[in-house]
Amino acid sequence: MAANASTQSSRPAAFTMREAQLPLIMTYVLLAIGAVVMILPFVWMVSTSLKPDREIFGDSIRWLPNELDLQNYSDAFEQTNMPRIFANTVLVTAVAVASQVLLGSMAGYVFARLQFRGKSLLFFVLLTTMMVPFEVLIIPVFLLIRAFPLAGGNDILGQGGTGLINTLGGVMFPNFVSVFGVFLFRQFYLGFPKEIEEAAIVDGCSRIGVYWRILIPNSKPVMGTMALFAFLWSWNDFLWPLVVVKEDSLKTIQLGLSVFDQEQGTAWAELMAASVMAVVPVIILYIFLQRFLVSGGLTSGLKG
Amino acid sequence: MNHALQRPPLSSSEPLVWRQRLYRVMNSQAFVACLFLLVPVALLAALKIYPVFYNLFLSFTRYELFEPPRFYGLKNYNYVFTNSTVRQSIFNTILFTIEAVPIGTALALIIAKLLNQSIRGRVFLRTLYYLPVVSSVVVSAMIWRWIYSPQHGLLNHLLGTVGIPPQNWLNDPNLALISLVIVTIWGSIGSNMVIFLAGLQDIPRDIIEAARVDGANSLQNFLLITVPLLRPVILFVVVTFTISIFRNFGLIFMLTQGGPFNRTNTMVWEVYQNVFGYLRFGRGAAISVVMLLIVLVLTMISFRVLRDRQGA
Repeated sequence: MAANASTQSSRPAAFTMREAQLPLIMTYVLLAIGAVVMILPFVWMVSTSLKPDREIFGDSIRWLPNELDLQNYSDAFEQTNMPRIFANTVLVTAVAVASQVLLGSMAGYVFARLQFRGKSLLFFVLLTTMMVPFEVLIIPVFLLIRAFPLAGGNDILGQGGTGLINTLGGVMFPNFVSVFGVFLFRQFYLGFPKEIEEAAIVDGCSRIGVYWRILIPNSKPVMGTMALFAFLWSWNDFLWPLVVVKEDSLKTIQLGLSVFDQEQGTAWAELMAASVMAVVPVIILYIFLQRFLVSGGLTSGLKG
Repeated sequence: MNHALQRPPLSSSEPLVWRQRLYRVMNSQAFVACLFLLVPVALLAALKIYPVFYNLFLSFTRYELFEPPRFYGLKNYNYVFTNSTVRQSIFNTILFTIEAVPIGTALALIIAKLLNQSIRGRVFLRTLYYLPVVSSVVVSAMIWRWIYSPQHGLLNHLLGTVGIPPQNWLNDPNLALISLVIVTIWGSIGSNMVIFLAGLQDIPRDIIEAARVDGANSLQNFLLITVPLLRPVILFVVVTFTISIFRNFGLIFMLTQGGPFNRTNTMVWEVYQNVFGYLRFGRGAAISVVMLLIVLVLTMISFRVLRDRQGA
C-alpha cells in the first residue's frame, strides 16, 4: 500500500489538482455516508446498552443516553453465568489458536520442504477438502463426535454413550486443524530463503532442528495471520457449539447471548450489553492484528 | 527432543555407528514427513474426508439415531426433489442469492474503487467497513433484530420521521427475506471490498492515466476500463459470496427460524430442521449432498477464475 501511495503522489501535481478536485469531495461524501451506515448498527448497540429501559422504549430516537447507566452490564453478568461463559470461550479459542498454528506450521513445513512418495497426491486431496464447507458435514461430524471411543459412556468401539457430545472437548474437536492453515504456512515457507536451512544442515543441524530453530522463530507474520483467523472462527463459531452443547455451564459466548431471548420477550438492554461484551475482544484484537490480514487479502473469502 | 537428534560425532566405535544409522533414519525426509503429518492428516481425514463419504452413505439410508441406519434406496432424494417444503428451501436459497449478490457485489466494488485512492483516513475507513465481518453472526443478528423490532426498533422510528408506517420486518411474509438480505449485504461488504482492493492494485495505473488524458471522465473510466479489467475478480467475488449465502445458518436461526410461512427457509436451515428437529439424519444427509454438489461446482468455477487471473 505504501508503494501504491508513492506512485500516486509522483503524478504531475497540476494535472492531479484540476482533474481530481471535484470527484475527491464526492469520494469523501460517499465514503462517509457508507461508513455511517456500516457502523450505525454498532453505535445503536452501544447506545442501547447504556440506556435505562424508559429511554430504550421511549417515543423518540435518542442517539446518546441522557445518563450513563451501567446497570445493564451488571444485569447481563448476573442473569447469565458470564464468567463461566467467558472462561469456556477463552479456553476453546486458545486451544484452537495454539493447535491450528502448531499443526499448520508442521504440515506446511513438510509440504514446502520435504520430498516423499505420494506428496503431490496427498496435497491435492487436502486441497480438495478446502472446497467442502463445514455446514454440509455437520451430520457425519456430529455422529463421529458422538461415537468417540471411551468418552461420555462409550465403549472402545464408540457405542452406548454420547461420546464428546455436551463436552468442551467436543466443541474444540473440529477446530484443531484447518486446511487453510496448512496452505497458509506452506505458501510462507515456500517463500522463505532455502539457503539458510541448507547451511544449517551442512553444519550438522537435523531436519527437526531446522524446523524448530530456523523456521519457527521466523514465522511470526504467518503465525499472526493464522492466529487471527483461528481466533475469529473459534470465538464467533455458532452452529457447531449449538449442535454439540446442551448444558448452560458449557455454553460459549455466542450461545450465551440467546439467554436474553426469553418467551416473555427479549431483554434488549441486557442483550445489547452482552453483545458489546462478546464483540469488544474481537474488535480490539482485529485492530491490533489487522496488518497481518493485509497480506492475506485474497484468502479472506475462503473461510473454513 | 532436539538433543537426541544432534548428529553424533564421527567415530568408528561400535555403538556410535549404530547411533549414526538410527540418526540417518530419523532424519530422513520420509520419517520427518510422517512424524509431522501424522496428527494433522489424521484429524483432517476424520473431519473432512471421511465425513464426505459417510454423508453420502447416510443419504441412501433411513436413520433416526436410535436404530442403526438401514438402506432406503433413492427415497431420500425422491423426497428432496418432490417435497414442497424442501423445494421451497431450494427456491428460497436461489432467491436469496439473486437478491443479495448483485447489489452486494456492486456496493463492495464501488466502495473499494473509492477507497483505492490516496485519500486521508483510508486505513481508518477500511477498518470501519470491515467491522461487520469481524463481528460474529450472532451479534450482528441480535443488533439487527433490535433495529427491526416492530414497536421500538430504530428502523421503524427512522421511517416514521418521513411518514412511512411501521413495518413488521421479520414477520411479514413479503419483507422477511429482504430484511435478511439487507443484513447479509451489510455483513459481507467488508470481505468483498478487501478482495476488490487487492484486484484494483493489480490494474496498471498507466492504463487509467492514458484514458484520462484521452478525455475519459471518472465514471467512463470506471465502467469502461476498471470493470472489464476486474471481470475475473468480480466473478470470483460473486461465486464466494454465493457460497457464503448457501452456508448462512446463524442469521436465519437468530432472526426468522425459516419463517414466516417458510419464506426464509433455506437449504442449510432445512438440513438443520430435518436432523436436529425431526431426527431425520438420512433426509438431512441427502439435502447436504445436493448442497455440497452445488457448492463444489461454484468453487471449481472460482478456482478456475482465480488461476486464469494469476496466469494472465
